[in-house]
Amino acid sequence: MMKLNQVSIFQEDNSLINALDVEFKPGEFWGIIGKNGVGKSTLLNVLAGMSKHYTGEILLNGQPLKQINHRIRAQRISYLLQEQEPCLAFLVEEAIGMGRFPWLTSKLEDEQITIDVMSRCQINHLYGRSILKLSGGERRKVEIGTCLAQQSDHLLLDEPLNHLDVVYQKHIMQVFKNYSQKRSVIMVCHDIQAVKQYCSHVLMLLGNDCYLSGTSATILTKTNLNKLFDDTSQ
Amino acid sequence: MSVFQNASKLWIISAFTLLGLIMTAMLVGSVSTPIDALWDVNSPYHNVIWQLRFPRIINALLVGACLSLAGLLIQNLVKNPLADPYLLGVSGGAAAVQLLVIVTGLSLSPNILFLFGFAGSLVAALLLLKLSYYGELRPNKITLNGVVLAFGFAALISFVLATASGQQVKSMMFWLMGDLSFARFNWLMPILLFIMMFLLMNKARALDLLARGDLFAQKSGVNTRQLNLQSFVMTALLTSMAVAQAGTIGFVGLIIPHMVRMLVGYQHKHLIPMSMTIGAGFLLLADTLARTVMNPIQLPVGIFTALIGVPVFLWLNRKL
Repeated sequence: MMKLNQVSIFQEDNSLINALDVEFKPGEFWGIIGKNGVGKSTLLNVLAGMSKHYTGEILLNGQPLKQINHRIRAQRISYLLQEQEPCLAFLVEEAIGMGRFPWLTSKLEDEQITIDVMSRCQINHLYGRSILKLSGGERRKVEIGTCLAQQSDHLLLDEPLNHLDVVYQKHIMQVFKNYSQKRSVIMVCHDIQAVKQYCSHVLMLLGNDCYLSGTSATILTKTNLNKLFDDTSQ
Repeated sequence: MSVFQNASKLWIISAFTLLGLIMTAMLVGSVSTPIDALWDVNSPYHNVIWQLRFPRIINALLVGACLSLAGLLIQNLVKNPLADPYLLGVSGGAAAVQLLVIVTGLSLSPNILFLFGFAGSLVAALLLLKLSYYGELRPNKITLNGVVLAFGFAALISFVLATASGQQVKSMMFWLMGDLSFARFNWLMPILLFIMMFLLMNKARALDLLARGDLFAQKSGVNTRQLNLQSFVMTALLTSMAVAQAGTIGFVGLIIPHMVRMLVGYQHKHLIPMSMTIGAGFLLLADTLARTVMNPIQLPVGIFTALIGVPVFLWLNRKL
Protein backbone atom coordinates (compact mmCIF):
# COMPACT_ATOMS: atom_id res chain seq x y z
CA MET A 1 0.00 0.00 0.00
CA MET A 2 1.28 3.42 -0.94
CA LYS A 3 0.10 6.54 0.84
CA LEU A 4 0.87 10.13 -0.12
CA ASN A 5 0.62 12.82 2.56
CA GLN A 6 0.67 16.41 1.34
CA VAL A 7 3.16 15.65 -1.43
CA SER A 8 4.36 18.67 -3.39
CA ILE A 9 6.67 18.42 -6.36
CA PHE A 10 8.77 21.25 -7.74
CA GLN A 11 10.65 21.51 -10.98
CA GLU A 12 13.05 24.40 -11.40
CA ASP A 13 11.22 26.45 -8.74
CA ASN A 14 7.82 25.95 -10.40
CA SER A 15 5.33 24.04 -8.36
CA LEU A 16 4.06 21.14 -10.46
CA ILE A 17 1.96 19.36 -7.91
CA ASN A 18 0.84 20.85 -4.63
CA ALA A 19 -0.28 19.07 -1.47
CA LEU A 20 -1.42 15.82 -3.05
CA ASP A 21 -3.15 13.32 -0.75
CA VAL A 22 -3.94 9.93 -2.20
CA GLU A 23 -3.75 6.29 -1.26
CA PHE A 24 -3.06 3.38 -3.64
CA LYS A 25 -4.32 0.08 -2.26
CA PRO A 26 -3.95 -3.51 -3.47
CA GLY A 27 -6.75 -4.47 -5.80
CA GLU A 28 -6.92 -1.00 -7.34
CA PHE A 29 -6.04 -0.06 -10.91
CA TRP A 30 -5.34 3.66 -11.04
CA GLY A 31 -5.27 5.80 -14.15
CA ILE A 32 -3.48 9.16 -13.99
CA ILE A 33 -4.74 11.54 -16.65
CA GLY A 34 -4.02 15.13 -17.52
CA LYS A 35 -2.68 17.37 -20.23
CA ASN A 36 0.92 17.36 -21.50
CA GLY A 37 3.39 18.92 -19.09
CA VAL A 38 1.05 18.81 -16.12
CA GLY A 39 3.48 16.58 -14.21
CA LYS A 40 2.16 13.05 -14.71
CA SER A 41 5.52 11.48 -15.51
CA THR A 42 7.28 13.57 -12.88
CA LEU A 43 4.80 12.31 -10.30
CA LEU A 44 5.36 8.71 -11.42
CA ASN A 45 9.12 9.23 -11.19
CA VAL A 46 8.72 10.40 -7.60
CA LEU A 47 6.42 7.48 -6.73
CA ALA A 48 9.00 5.09 -8.19
CA GLY A 49 11.60 6.45 -5.77
CA MET A 50 13.78 7.72 -8.63
CA SER A 51 13.56 11.37 -7.65
CA LYS A 52 13.76 12.83 -4.19
CA HIS A 53 12.79 16.38 -5.17
CA TYR A 54 9.55 16.53 -3.26
CA THR A 55 8.21 17.64 0.08
CA GLY A 56 5.61 15.87 2.15
CA GLU A 57 5.56 12.17 2.83
CA ILE A 58 5.28 9.02 0.75
CA LEU A 59 4.69 5.94 2.85
CA LEU A 60 5.18 2.43 1.51
CA ASN A 61 3.45 0.00 3.86
CA GLY A 62 3.90 2.62 6.58
CA GLN A 63 7.62 3.18 5.90
CA PRO A 64 8.90 6.45 4.35
CA LEU A 65 9.95 5.80 0.73
CA LYS A 66 13.11 7.88 1.12
CA GLN A 67 14.43 5.52 3.80
CA ILE A 68 13.94 2.27 1.91
CA ASN A 69 17.07 0.80 0.31
CA HIS A 70 17.25 0.26 -3.43
CA ARG A 71 16.77 -3.48 -3.52
CA ILE A 72 13.78 -3.54 -1.17
CA ARG A 73 12.25 -0.59 -3.01
CA ALA A 74 12.48 -2.53 -6.27
CA GLN A 75 10.81 -5.53 -4.63
CA ARG A 76 7.86 -3.27 -3.81
CA ILE A 77 7.74 -1.02 -6.88
CA SER A 78 8.34 -1.76 -10.55
CA TYR A 79 8.32 1.03 -13.09
CA LEU A 80 7.86 1.04 -16.85
CA LEU A 81 9.82 3.98 -18.26
CA GLN A 82 8.25 6.07 -21.00
CA GLU A 83 11.25 5.71 -23.34
CA GLN A 84 13.97 3.05 -23.50
CA GLU A 85 17.57 4.03 -23.09
CA PRO A 86 20.20 2.95 -25.62
CA CYS A 87 21.82 -0.27 -24.46
CA LEU A 88 23.75 -3.39 -25.42
CA ALA A 89 22.34 -6.30 -27.41
CA PHE A 90 21.03 -8.51 -24.62
CA LEU A 91 18.86 -11.49 -25.50
CA VAL A 92 15.12 -11.14 -24.85
CA GLU A 93 15.11 -13.71 -22.05
CA GLU A 94 18.21 -12.16 -20.43
CA ALA A 95 16.50 -8.76 -20.56
CA ILE A 96 13.30 -10.01 -18.94
CA GLY A 97 15.29 -12.00 -16.38
CA MET A 98 16.84 -8.70 -15.25
CA GLY A 99 13.50 -7.91 -13.61
CA ARG A 100 14.39 -10.62 -11.07
CA PHE A 101 17.45 -8.67 -9.86
CA PRO A 102 16.01 -7.41 -6.54
CA TRP A 103 14.79 -10.82 -5.41
CA LEU A 104 17.94 -12.96 -5.06
CA THR A 105 15.87 -16.03 -5.89
CA SER A 106 17.28 -19.20 -7.46
CA LYS A 107 18.24 -19.26 -11.12
CA LEU A 108 15.68 -21.98 -11.76
CA GLU A 109 12.85 -19.96 -10.25
CA ASP A 110 13.92 -16.87 -12.20
CA GLU A 111 13.89 -18.83 -15.45
CA GLN A 112 10.45 -20.24 -14.64
CA ILE A 113 9.09 -16.75 -14.02
CA THR A 114 10.71 -15.42 -17.20
CA ILE A 115 9.05 -18.13 -19.30
CA ASP A 116 5.73 -17.52 -17.59
CA VAL A 117 5.91 -13.76 -18.21
CA MET A 118 6.85 -14.29 -21.85
CA SER A 119 3.78 -16.40 -22.45
CA ARG A 120 1.54 -13.93 -20.59
CA CYS A 121 2.89 -11.14 -22.80
CA GLN A 122 2.60 -13.38 -25.88
CA ILE A 123 6.25 -13.01 -26.82
CA ASN A 124 7.44 -16.62 -26.61
CA HIS A 125 8.44 -16.42 -30.25
CA LEU A 126 11.03 -13.75 -29.41
CA TYR A 127 13.08 -16.19 -27.30
CA GLY A 128 16.77 -16.06 -28.26
CA ARG A 129 16.49 -12.81 -30.21
CA SER A 130 18.64 -9.75 -29.49
CA ILE A 131 16.61 -6.85 -28.07
CA LEU A 132 18.31 -4.44 -30.47
CA LYS A 133 16.87 -6.29 -33.46
CA LEU A 134 13.23 -6.01 -32.37
CA SER A 135 10.63 -3.59 -33.70
CA GLY A 136 9.55 -0.68 -31.50
CA GLY A 137 6.40 -2.50 -30.38
CA GLU A 138 8.20 -5.78 -29.69
CA ARG A 139 10.80 -3.94 -27.64
CA ARG A 140 8.00 -2.30 -25.66
CA LYS A 141 6.55 -5.74 -24.89
CA VAL A 142 9.95 -6.85 -23.57
CA GLU A 143 10.12 -3.80 -21.29
CA ILE A 144 6.61 -4.54 -19.99
CA GLY A 145 7.61 -8.17 -19.45
CA THR A 146 10.66 -7.05 -17.45
CA CYS A 147 8.37 -5.08 -15.12
CA LEU A 148 5.96 -8.02 -14.72
CA ALA A 149 8.85 -10.37 -13.88
CA GLN A 150 9.74 -8.03 -11.03
CA GLN A 151 6.50 -9.14 -9.28
CA SER A 152 6.30 -6.05 -7.11
CA ASP A 153 3.26 -4.93 -5.11
CA HIS A 154 3.06 -1.71 -7.10
CA LEU A 155 3.34 -1.55 -10.88
CA LEU A 156 3.88 1.96 -12.24
CA LEU A 157 3.30 2.37 -15.97
CA ASP A 158 4.24 5.46 -17.96
CA GLU A 159 2.16 5.42 -21.15
CA PRO A 160 2.33 1.63 -21.56
CA LEU A 161 0.34 1.63 -24.80
CA ASN A 162 2.94 3.58 -26.81
CA HIS A 163 4.11 1.70 -29.93
CA LEU A 164 1.57 -1.11 -29.43
CA ASP A 165 -1.04 -2.15 -32.00
CA VAL A 166 -4.74 -1.98 -31.13
CA VAL A 167 -5.25 -5.72 -30.65
CA TYR A 168 -2.27 -6.02 -28.37
CA GLN A 169 -3.32 -2.92 -26.41
CA LYS A 170 -6.52 -4.75 -25.43
CA HIS A 171 -4.58 -7.87 -24.48
CA ILE A 172 -2.01 -6.09 -22.33
CA MET A 173 -4.62 -3.95 -20.56
CA GLN A 174 -6.34 -7.17 -19.52
CA VAL A 175 -2.97 -8.46 -18.24
CA PHE A 176 -2.58 -5.30 -16.14
CA LYS A 177 -6.16 -5.65 -14.92
CA ASN A 178 -5.43 -9.21 -13.74
CA TYR A 179 -2.20 -8.03 -12.13
CA SER A 180 -4.15 -5.43 -10.17
CA GLN A 181 -6.39 -8.00 -8.50
CA LYS A 182 -3.93 -8.58 -5.67
CA ARG A 183 -1.55 -5.66 -6.20
CA SER A 184 -1.89 -2.05 -7.24
CA VAL A 185 -1.28 -0.77 -10.75
CA ILE A 186 -0.79 2.95 -11.37
CA MET A 187 -0.83 3.99 -15.00
CA VAL A 188 -0.24 7.29 -16.78
CA CYS A 189 -2.30 7.15 -19.97
CA HIS A 190 -3.66 9.46 -22.64
CA ASP A 191 -6.27 7.01 -23.85
CA ILE A 192 -9.37 8.09 -21.89
CA GLN A 193 -11.42 5.22 -23.32
CA ALA A 194 -8.93 2.64 -22.04
CA VAL A 195 -8.86 4.31 -18.64
CA LYS A 196 -12.65 4.29 -18.52
CA GLN A 197 -12.82 0.63 -19.50
CA TYR A 198 -10.11 -0.85 -17.28
CA CYS A 199 -9.24 1.47 -14.39
CA SER A 200 -11.06 1.24 -11.08
CA HIS A 201 -9.75 4.59 -9.85
CA VAL A 202 -8.63 7.82 -11.49
CA LEU A 203 -6.33 10.65 -10.49
CA MET A 204 -7.04 13.66 -12.68
CA LEU A 205 -4.39 16.37 -12.71
CA LEU A 206 -5.93 19.64 -13.81
CA GLY A 207 -2.90 21.91 -13.50
CA ASN A 208 -2.65 25.00 -11.30
CA ASP A 209 -2.30 22.71 -8.29
CA CYS A 210 -5.80 21.26 -8.81
CA TYR A 211 -6.47 17.57 -8.83
CA LEU A 212 -9.37 15.16 -8.44
CA SER A 213 -9.13 11.59 -7.24
CA GLY A 214 -11.62 8.81 -6.68
CA THR A 215 -13.29 5.91 -8.40
CA SER A 216 -13.53 6.03 -12.19
CA ALA A 217 -17.31 6.47 -12.09
CA THR A 218 -17.16 9.56 -9.89
CA ILE A 219 -14.23 11.25 -11.64
CA LEU A 220 -14.77 10.52 -15.33
CA THR A 221 -17.91 12.60 -15.62
CA LYS A 222 -18.62 14.77 -18.60
CA THR A 223 -18.19 17.98 -16.58
CA ASN A 224 -14.80 16.91 -15.27
CA LEU A 225 -13.56 15.80 -18.69
CA ASN A 226 -14.70 19.08 -20.18
CA LYS A 227 -12.83 20.91 -17.45
CA LEU A 228 -9.71 18.83 -18.18
CA PHE A 229 -9.61 19.54 -21.88
CA ASP A 230 -11.11 22.99 -21.93
CA ASP A 231 -8.47 25.43 -23.19
CA THR A 232 -10.26 28.47 -21.85
CA SER A 233 -9.69 27.38 -18.26
CA GLN A 234 -6.04 28.41 -18.59
CA MET B 1 24.79 -12.96 -30.39
CA SER B 2 27.98 -14.64 -29.37
CA VAL B 3 30.03 -17.18 -31.27
CA PHE B 4 30.42 -19.44 -28.27
CA GLN B 5 27.02 -20.29 -26.86
CA ASN B 6 28.87 -22.64 -24.62
CA ALA B 7 31.29 -20.66 -22.47
CA SER B 8 33.16 -23.69 -21.18
CA LYS B 9 34.41 -24.52 -24.67
CA LEU B 10 35.94 -21.06 -25.00
CA TRP B 11 37.44 -21.39 -21.53
CA ILE B 12 39.25 -24.59 -22.48
CA ILE B 13 40.54 -23.07 -25.71
CA SER B 14 41.79 -19.89 -24.04
CA ALA B 15 43.37 -21.72 -21.12
CA PHE B 16 45.41 -23.91 -23.47
CA THR B 17 46.34 -20.97 -25.69
CA LEU B 18 47.48 -19.00 -22.66
CA LEU B 19 49.61 -21.89 -21.41
CA GLY B 20 51.12 -22.32 -24.86
CA LEU B 21 51.89 -18.61 -25.05
CA ILE B 22 53.58 -18.63 -21.65
CA MET B 23 55.72 -21.65 -22.61
CA THR B 24 56.74 -20.04 -25.89
CA ALA B 25 57.52 -16.72 -24.23
CA MET B 26 59.80 -18.53 -21.75
CA LEU B 27 61.80 -20.23 -24.47
CA VAL B 28 62.24 -17.52 -27.11
CA GLY B 29 64.14 -14.26 -26.91
CA SER B 30 67.53 -12.83 -27.81
CA VAL B 31 68.75 -16.41 -27.29
CA SER B 32 66.47 -19.37 -27.91
CA THR B 33 66.68 -21.83 -25.08
CA PRO B 34 66.08 -25.60 -25.10
CA ILE B 35 63.02 -26.75 -23.22
CA ASP B 36 64.95 -28.68 -20.57
CA ALA B 37 66.48 -25.41 -19.35
CA LEU B 38 63.16 -24.83 -17.62
CA TRP B 39 63.87 -27.38 -14.92
CA ASP B 40 67.60 -28.11 -15.37
CA VAL B 41 69.30 -26.01 -12.67
CA ASN B 42 72.73 -26.56 -14.26
CA SER B 43 71.72 -25.25 -17.65
CA PRO B 44 73.26 -21.86 -18.49
CA TYR B 45 69.84 -20.65 -19.56
CA HIS B 46 68.03 -21.55 -16.36
CA ASN B 47 68.64 -18.12 -14.85
CA VAL B 48 67.82 -16.30 -18.08
CA ILE B 49 64.39 -17.90 -18.08
CA TRP B 50 63.51 -17.60 -14.41
CA GLN B 51 65.29 -14.32 -13.53
CA LEU B 52 64.72 -12.30 -16.69
CA ARG B 53 61.91 -13.69 -18.79
CA PHE B 54 59.56 -15.01 -16.15
CA PRO B 55 59.03 -11.72 -14.26
CA ARG B 56 58.48 -9.92 -17.54
CA ILE B 57 55.90 -12.51 -18.61
CA ILE B 58 54.05 -12.14 -15.32
CA ASN B 59 54.08 -8.38 -15.76
CA ALA B 60 52.72 -8.62 -19.29
CA LEU B 61 49.90 -10.88 -18.09
CA LEU B 62 49.00 -8.61 -15.19
CA VAL B 63 49.15 -5.37 -17.17
CA GLY B 64 47.06 -6.91 -19.95
CA ALA B 65 44.46 -8.11 -17.47
CA CYS B 66 44.34 -4.73 -15.69
CA LEU B 67 43.91 -2.76 -18.90
CA SER B 68 41.17 -4.91 -20.37
CA LEU B 69 39.23 -5.06 -17.12
CA ALA B 70 39.54 -1.27 -16.84
CA GLY B 71 38.33 -0.91 -20.43
CA LEU B 72 35.31 -3.10 -19.73
CA LEU B 73 34.39 -0.97 -16.71
CA ILE B 74 34.83 2.42 -18.34
CA GLN B 75 32.83 1.45 -21.44
CA ASN B 76 30.00 0.31 -19.21
CA LEU B 77 30.24 3.48 -17.12
CA VAL B 78 30.16 6.10 -19.88
CA LYS B 79 28.12 3.94 -22.32
CA ASN B 80 30.45 4.84 -25.15
CA PRO B 81 32.05 2.15 -27.31
CA LEU B 82 35.02 4.40 -28.05
CA ALA B 83 35.91 4.83 -24.40
CA ASP B 84 39.18 3.35 -23.20
CA PRO B 85 40.86 3.38 -19.79
CA TYR B 86 43.00 6.39 -20.75
CA LEU B 87 39.82 8.47 -20.99
CA LEU B 88 40.19 9.08 -17.29
CA GLY B 89 43.32 11.10 -17.97
CA VAL B 90 45.34 8.73 -15.81
CA SER B 91 47.80 7.97 -18.60
CA GLY B 92 48.39 11.66 -19.21
CA GLY B 93 48.81 12.34 -15.51
CA ALA B 94 51.18 9.43 -15.01
CA ALA B 95 53.15 10.18 -18.17
CA ALA B 96 53.52 13.87 -17.38
CA VAL B 97 54.78 13.18 -13.87
CA GLN B 98 57.08 10.32 -14.85
CA LEU B 99 58.54 12.25 -17.77
CA LEU B 100 59.19 15.22 -15.51
CA VAL B 101 60.99 12.89 -13.13
CA ILE B 102 63.08 11.42 -15.96
CA VAL B 103 63.97 14.82 -17.38
CA THR B 104 64.98 16.31 -14.06
CA GLY B 105 67.08 13.22 -13.43
CA LEU B 106 65.82 12.99 -9.86
CA SER B 107 65.87 9.23 -9.75
CA LEU B 108 65.76 6.36 -12.18
CA SER B 109 64.96 3.57 -9.76
CA PRO B 110 61.97 1.72 -11.22
CA ASN B 111 60.21 1.50 -7.88
CA ILE B 112 60.39 5.24 -7.32
CA LEU B 113 59.27 5.86 -10.89
CA PHE B 114 56.34 3.48 -10.34
CA LEU B 115 55.26 5.40 -7.27
CA PHE B 116 55.52 8.75 -9.04
CA GLY B 117 53.47 7.47 -11.98
CA PHE B 118 50.89 5.93 -9.69
CA ALA B 119 50.55 9.19 -7.77
CA GLY B 120 50.36 11.27 -10.97
CA SER B 121 47.63 9.14 -12.44
CA LEU B 122 45.57 9.15 -9.27
CA VAL B 123 45.81 12.94 -9.09
CA ALA B 124 44.60 13.17 -12.69
CA ALA B 125 41.69 10.79 -11.96
CA LEU B 126 40.72 12.77 -8.87
CA LEU B 127 40.72 15.96 -10.92
CA LEU B 128 38.37 14.37 -13.46
CA LEU B 129 36.19 12.98 -10.67
CA LYS B 130 35.92 16.45 -9.14
CA LEU B 131 35.00 17.97 -12.50
CA SER B 132 32.35 15.36 -13.30
CA TYR B 133 30.74 15.15 -9.87
CA TYR B 134 27.54 17.02 -9.15
CA GLY B 135 26.22 15.42 -5.99
CA GLU B 136 26.66 12.20 -7.93
CA LEU B 137 28.94 11.08 -10.74
CA ARG B 138 27.68 12.16 -14.19
CA PRO B 139 28.89 9.60 -16.72
CA ASN B 140 28.13 11.86 -19.69
CA LYS B 141 30.38 14.57 -18.24
CA ILE B 142 33.28 12.15 -17.83
CA THR B 143 33.67 11.66 -21.57
CA LEU B 144 34.01 15.29 -22.52
CA ASN B 145 36.00 16.35 -19.46
CA GLY B 146 38.30 13.36 -19.89
CA VAL B 147 39.01 14.11 -23.54
CA VAL B 148 39.72 17.76 -22.82
CA LEU B 149 41.98 16.95 -19.86
CA ALA B 150 43.89 14.51 -22.06
CA PHE B 151 44.69 17.36 -24.46
CA GLY B 152 46.04 19.37 -21.53
CA PHE B 153 48.32 16.54 -20.45
CA ALA B 154 49.40 15.93 -24.06
CA ALA B 155 50.54 19.55 -24.25
CA LEU B 156 52.51 19.13 -21.03
CA ILE B 157 54.11 15.95 -22.38
CA SER B 158 55.00 17.63 -25.68
CA PHE B 159 56.59 20.45 -23.73
CA VAL B 160 58.77 18.03 -21.78
CA LEU B 161 59.72 16.14 -24.94
CA ALA B 162 60.59 19.34 -26.80
CA THR B 163 62.95 20.45 -24.08
CA ALA B 164 64.56 17.06 -23.34
CA SER B 165 67.90 15.87 -24.70
CA GLY B 166 68.15 13.31 -27.53
CA GLN B 167 68.95 10.28 -25.40
CA GLN B 168 66.19 11.12 -22.94
CA VAL B 169 63.68 11.55 -25.77
CA LYS B 170 64.32 8.01 -26.96
CA SER B 171 63.69 6.40 -23.60
CA MET B 172 60.63 8.62 -23.15
CA MET B 173 59.18 7.64 -26.53
CA PHE B 174 59.53 4.02 -25.52
CA TRP B 175 57.70 4.79 -22.36
CA LEU B 176 54.94 6.72 -24.10
CA MET B 177 54.30 3.81 -26.46
CA GLY B 178 54.34 1.36 -23.62
CA ASP B 179 57.23 -0.84 -22.63
CA LEU B 180 57.49 -3.83 -20.34
CA SER B 181 61.28 -4.19 -20.34
CA PHE B 182 61.89 -2.00 -17.29
CA ALA B 183 59.00 -3.36 -15.29
CA ARG B 184 59.86 -5.06 -12.02
CA PHE B 185 57.46 -7.38 -10.28
CA ASN B 186 55.52 -5.76 -7.48
CA TRP B 187 52.98 -7.41 -5.28
CA LEU B 188 50.54 -4.50 -5.28
CA MET B 189 49.31 -5.30 -8.76
CA PRO B 190 48.18 -8.94 -8.47
CA ILE B 191 46.70 -8.37 -5.03
CA LEU B 192 44.65 -5.32 -6.05
CA LEU B 193 43.68 -6.92 -9.36
CA PHE B 194 42.28 -10.04 -7.76
CA ILE B 195 40.53 -8.15 -4.98
CA MET B 196 38.82 -6.04 -7.62
CA MET B 197 37.94 -9.05 -9.73
CA PHE B 198 36.33 -10.63 -6.69
CA LEU B 199 34.36 -7.47 -5.86
CA LEU B 200 33.23 -7.07 -9.46
CA MET B 201 32.16 -10.70 -9.83
CA ASN B 202 29.88 -10.09 -6.86
CA LYS B 203 28.39 -7.13 -8.71
CA ALA B 204 28.21 -8.87 -12.09
CA ARG B 205 24.42 -8.79 -12.28
CA ALA B 206 24.19 -5.15 -11.24
CA LEU B 207 26.74 -4.31 -13.95
CA ASP B 208 24.55 -6.11 -16.51
CA LEU B 209 21.62 -3.92 -15.51
CA LEU B 210 23.79 -0.83 -15.71
CA ALA B 211 24.62 -1.80 -19.30
CA ARG B 212 20.91 -1.57 -20.04
CA GLY B 213 20.85 2.07 -18.95
CA ASP B 214 21.37 4.07 -15.77
CA LEU B 215 17.64 4.72 -15.30
CA PHE B 216 16.80 1.09 -15.94
CA ALA B 217 19.34 -0.08 -13.38
CA GLN B 218 18.13 2.43 -10.83
CA LYS B 219 14.47 1.51 -11.15
CA SER B 220 15.31 -2.19 -10.97
CA GLY B 221 16.97 -1.81 -7.58
CA VAL B 222 20.64 -1.07 -8.34
CA ASN B 223 22.32 1.66 -6.32
CA THR B 224 23.64 3.31 -9.48
CA ARG B 225 25.19 6.22 -7.64
CA GLN B 226 27.38 3.88 -5.67
CA LEU B 227 28.10 1.50 -8.54
CA ASN B 228 29.13 4.27 -10.94
CA LEU B 229 31.48 5.71 -8.36
CA GLN B 230 32.95 2.27 -7.66
CA SER B 231 33.44 1.65 -11.39
CA PHE B 232 35.25 4.96 -11.70
CA VAL B 233 37.55 4.35 -8.76
CA MET B 234 38.37 0.80 -9.86
CA THR B 235 39.09 1.87 -13.43
CA ALA B 236 41.38 4.61 -12.14
CA LEU B 237 43.26 2.21 -9.86
CA LEU B 238 43.63 -0.52 -12.47
CA THR B 239 44.80 1.87 -15.17
CA SER B 240 47.15 3.71 -12.83
CA MET B 241 48.83 0.45 -11.91
CA ALA B 242 49.20 -0.59 -15.52
CA VAL B 243 50.53 2.79 -16.63
CA ALA B 244 52.92 3.17 -13.73
CA GLN B 245 54.25 -0.30 -14.46
CA ALA B 246 54.55 -0.29 -18.24
CA GLY B 247 53.71 3.09 -19.72
CA THR B 248 50.73 3.84 -21.91
CA ILE B 249 50.16 0.63 -23.83
CA GLY B 250 47.41 1.51 -26.24
CA PHE B 251 44.62 -0.51 -27.76
CA VAL B 252 44.30 -3.32 -25.18
CA GLY B 253 41.70 -1.55 -23.06
CA LEU B 254 39.72 -0.40 -26.07
CA ILE B 255 39.60 -3.52 -28.18
CA ILE B 256 39.71 -6.51 -25.81
CA PRO B 257 36.34 -5.78 -24.14
CA HIS B 258 34.68 -5.47 -27.53
CA MET B 259 36.29 -8.66 -28.73
CA VAL B 260 35.21 -10.54 -25.63
CA ARG B 261 31.63 -9.28 -25.93
CA MET B 262 31.56 -10.70 -29.44
CA LEU B 263 32.82 -14.02 -28.10
CA VAL B 264 30.81 -14.56 -24.89
CA GLY B 265 27.87 -12.15 -25.05
CA TYR B 266 27.02 -9.38 -22.63
CA GLN B 267 26.82 -10.94 -19.18
CA HIS B 268 29.49 -9.65 -16.83
CA LYS B 269 29.87 -12.98 -15.04
CA HIS B 270 31.51 -14.18 -18.28
CA LEU B 271 32.87 -10.82 -19.47
CA ILE B 272 34.97 -10.09 -16.37
CA PRO B 273 37.09 -13.25 -16.19
CA MET B 274 37.24 -13.65 -19.96
CA SER B 275 38.41 -10.06 -20.56
CA MET B 276 41.16 -10.55 -18.03
CA THR B 277 42.28 -13.84 -19.58
CA ILE B 278 42.22 -12.70 -23.18
CA GLY B 279 43.73 -9.31 -22.32
CA ALA B 280 46.57 -11.04 -20.47
CA GLY B 281 47.25 -13.44 -23.33
CA PHE B 282 47.03 -10.71 -25.93
CA LEU B 283 49.58 -8.46 -24.23
CA LEU B 284 51.93 -11.39 -23.63
CA LEU B 285 51.79 -12.24 -27.33
CA ALA B 286 52.46 -8.62 -28.31
CA ASP B 287 55.34 -8.32 -25.85
CA THR B 288 56.91 -11.58 -26.97
CA LEU B 289 56.82 -10.35 -30.56
CA ALA B 290 58.19 -6.96 -29.50
CA ARG B 291 61.32 -8.51 -28.03
CA THR B 292 61.90 -11.18 -30.69
CA VAL B 293 60.87 -9.86 -34.11
CA MET B 294 63.84 -7.55 -34.63
CA ASN B 295 66.16 -9.41 -32.30
CA PRO B 296 68.34 -8.11 -30.65
CA ILE B 297 66.54 -4.77 -30.98
CA GLN B 298 63.58 -4.43 -28.64
CA LEU B 299 60.54 -2.62 -30.01
CA PRO B 300 57.82 -0.86 -28.00
CA VAL B 301 55.01 -3.29 -27.28
CA GLY B 302 52.40 -0.67 -28.30
CA ILE B 303 53.32 -1.25 -31.94
CA PHE B 304 52.32 -4.88 -31.74
CA THR B 305 49.13 -4.47 -29.72
CA ALA B 306 47.84 -2.37 -32.61
CA LEU B 307 49.39 -4.48 -35.38
CA ILE B 308 47.74 -7.68 -34.10
CA GLY B 309 44.65 -6.07 -32.64
CA VAL B 310 43.48 -4.09 -35.65
CA PRO B 311 43.17 -6.96 -38.15
CA VAL B 312 41.79 -9.43 -35.60
CA PHE B 313 39.18 -6.94 -34.47
CA LEU B 314 38.17 -5.93 -37.99
CA TRP B 315 37.83 -9.58 -38.96
CA LEU B 316 35.67 -10.38 -35.94
CA ASN B 317 33.53 -7.29 -36.48
CA ARG B 318 32.94 -8.28 -40.08
CA LYS B 319 32.17 -11.88 -39.31
CA LEU B 320 29.61 -11.25 -36.56
